[in-house]
Amino acid sequence: MKKYKDIIGAVAFIGIIVAAVIFATTPKNPSANDNQAASISNVLLQSGTADAWTKGNPDAKVRLVEYSDFQCPACGAYYPIVKQIVAEFGDRISLTYRHFPLRNVHESADLAARAAEAAGNQGKFWEMHDMLFVNQTRWTFIPGVAGSAIEGYAKSLGLDIDTFKKDLNSGDTRDKVERDYQSGVAAGVNHTPTFFINGKEIPNPRSYDEFKNAILAALGDQS
Amino acid sequence: MTNSKTQSLPHWGINHKRIALALVFLALLGFIDATYLTIAHYRGGIVPCANISNCEKVLTSQYSTIAGVPVALIGSLYYFSVFLFTFLSITRKNERFLIAASAIITCGFLASLFLIYLQLFVIHAICLYCMLSATITTVLFACATSLMLVKAKNKKLQMV
Repeated sequence: MKKYKDIIGAVAFIGIIVAAVIFATTPKNPSANDNQAASISNVLLQSGTADAWTKGNPDAKVRLVEYSDFQCPACGAYYPIVKQIVAEFGDRISLTYRHFPLRNVHESADLAARAAEAAGNQGKFWEMHDMLFVNQTRWTFIPGVAGSAIEGYAKSLGLDIDTFKKDLNSGDTRDKVERDYQSGVAAGVNHTPTFFINGKEIPNPRSYDEFKNAILAALGDQS
Repeated sequence: MTNSKTQSLPHWGINHKRIALALVFLALLGFIDATYLTIAHYRGGIVPCANISNCEKVLTSQYSTIAGVPVALIGSLYYFSVFLFTFLSITRKNERFLIAASAIITCGFLASLFLIYLQLFVIHAICLYCMLSATITTVLFACATSLMLVKAKNKKLQMV
């Protein structure tokens, strides 16, 4: 056995390398319970767009609307906070996500928004939404990789890739993103993310607790 | 001339060892590169790839597999064998492993030339990861060949 010590060592080392490569390249999957919590329904929340993506209780007293851009780092930073808010308040609130891609500064933001819509056509809007935020640094880091990375996410979500690609570039999808954007412009959105509670813009909370208090205050007003 | 065993090793100088170490390191780099592509192949995912190259076109072309075996996997095995042999040549202070590694590297170099030809003239697309592998193998080939040349020269000197 001693004779083969170096061979065993080398093979073990290579094994570790392979494991590391597999680990490093596995797309991070958002937690499963979050996906289960995502009940997708179309509700009219604001004039103009009846087809916004909403999760939580559509008849909730507190309706939270987020205008966001998948490529914006601040939106990525708010993602876990919003997720926690949705998890904590459950059926007492609803969350609506609207696209506000800052196309001038984020070259892949529009693509990402369309990708979420295309995934939504196959019932996986929130899954793609989570995938894009969780992996934000990966697909935004090197210019030009977003397209292939997003296609990889679509595959790992088990989407029909031909339909996904078709929907990604369809006029309907572009219109949907643009409608969201225009509704944001109309609502006075000029930065991302912008949050509205029951149609009223709130200053971006600086912490989870601040966010929670804003929601609590709205719940209190309504009860 | 009394002890032939020790005479097979006298030209194992510190520089040779350094080159052998460089070979180990390069083989490892190549292994990571090829293994990444192999994993991507079996996972069916797409490799993020900068605008300047078209990895998807290359990695999904009919030339990406040979009889169902992905070229990337062959690359992984190739780099693994180079890594193992060069590593053993150091741990066992035995040139034979280095000669074996050089032979494998020469095959790898010729295969790389063919794969570059395919990318440039047949598929008309370049895959960055494949070009990285080709570069690593070229450097490996240069190192191994120079080592073999030095060895041949030393042997001649010895014989004189």
